[in-house]
Amino acid sequence: MIDVQNLNFTYPGRLEPTIHGMSFNIQKGEVFGFLGPSGAGKSTTQKILIGILKGYQGSVKVMDKEIKDIGPNYERIGVAFEFPNFYSKFSVLENLKFFGSLYAGRTENPKTLLEQVGLDQATNMKVSQLSKGMKMRLNFCRALLNNPDILFLDEPTSGLDPVNAQRMKELILEKRKEGKTVLITTHNMQAAEELCDRVAFIVDGQIKLIDSPRELKLHKGKQRIVVEYRNKGELMSAAFPQQGIGENHTFLNLIKEYSIETIHSQEATLEQIFIEVTGRRLI
Amino acid sequence: MRFITAFAFDIKFQWRHGFYFAYAFVCACYWILLNYIPEAYLHKSVILLTFSDPSALGLILAGGILLLERDQGIHDPLFVTPMRTRDYLFAKVASLSCLSLIAAWVIHLTSIGIPKSPVLFSVGVVLTSSLMTLLSISVVVRYHTINGFIMMSQVYALPLALPLLGFFDIWNTKLYLLPTEGTLLLLESAISDLTTVQIGYSLFILLIWNYGIYVWASYSYKKYVLGKIGEGRDGL
Repeated sequence: MIDVQNLNFTYPGRLEPTIHGMSFNIQKGEVFGFLGPSGAGKSTTQKILIGILKGYQGSVKVMDKEIKDIGPNYERIGVAFEFPNFYSKFSVLENLKFFGSLYAGRTENPKTLLEQVGLDQATNMKVSQLSKGMKMRLNFCRALLNNPDILFLDEPTSGLDPVNAQRMKELILEKRKEGKTVLITTHNMQAAEELCDRVAFIVDGQIKLIDSPRELKLHKGKQRIVVEYRNKGELMSAAFPQQGIGENHTFLNLIKEYSIETIHSQEATLEQIFIEVTGRRLI
Repeated sequence: MRFITAFAFDIKFQWRHGFYFAYAFVCACYWILLNYIPEAYLHKSVILLTFSDPSALGLILAGGILLLERDQGIHDPLFVTPMRTRDYLFAKVASLSCLSLIAAWVIHLTSIGIPKSPVLFSVGVVLTSSLMTLLSISVVVRYHTINGFIMMSQVYALPLALPLLGFFDIWNTKLYLLPTEGTLLLLESAISDLTTVQIGYSLFILLIWNYGIYVWASYSYKKYVLGKIGEGRDGL
């Protein structure tokens, strides 16, 4: 769906390239995450993919079309920027109807989209009356208006309470089930872990690593099990090699004889892996 | 089709932000003022008012609208839809030209009646309004404050007011290269007949200038607005 080869980009007036030598591809129906600190080049890459920044070197194909030759097909992509901006003196429904009317093809019913994100009660409210969380949900609705094949989402769970963040994640995963391709740009490692089939770590305009969060967590983690248990009222812990755990008699005796409080495998978190691979924190 | 959609929404936007009420008030003030102008000066006064206000209305309002839109951060989401710069600019031009035309006709009808040549008079108002709207957009994208924009828009527009010197017989050299020389001729068609050469010249100079300023507005909008899309303008 998206194929990028040896992408280089330098902003006009700057000497140093912002993106250098970036190559990756994103398959149809994949949720792909760009992870990186501020200024790493995530947004620049996204802006190139959605056709805002031209004048790049290398090849950027979206839906098999080179972006710099023909520009993006906005009829078939949906974009939700990090900041959910709308016409503030117009209602929720008026905004969605207007944005929907800009597409030549069939568009989704705004009321159905609003119901999906729990904004059906806010249909006639002016946008200026909405909270940031409500605007973020409305932003998501706007990106879905044209039933796009590719969704570009910038910090999709930012500003949402836990319930609505969870709902948003479920909706993104529903889109994946429908065969949509989703590209997420985020600082939020937990959201990336839960949503993305693969993530790319971006630092200094380069991709340092691309892999699935699950594989990364397993391979970069410590292959052991840590058990916390009570022994005569005192909280104690013990660690065991993960390999052959079912035949480890010490482990089996411990879980049989003591009151177990927790058992955890020691896979790494995405954040730990990011720091290990890039030497940077996600700030 | 997108132009029609954008045009209709621009009219609603201007209505919702009270532009029409404000302009109705301005027109009412002009009507009262014109009632006190002696008959001998009435024609020139009406042409001057039509030239300096409804025709030039786009100069201030287009900039104001763009600043409002920028304040609401609306350009980012707007241009990741099929909306194109051409549709956006034409919608602004058309919506503000409608307002200009209504205001110019109200002023005329309430002071000296129906213009002698309604078509030429209307064309003069519309082409001048579109020119000023495009000029305003070309300037406002370079500034972030209303003060900066108002000051600089006057600097850019001042040379366009020079033909008024000839209109008031202060300086009797015609500035034929300026579009507003054509504007004044077409507005004068409301009270006197124009020759074919005068009509041809007026239309030609206004159309050429409109095209030139459109190219500049389009370039400026792409460079200063679209070039900054996604930089995180928070309109919350």
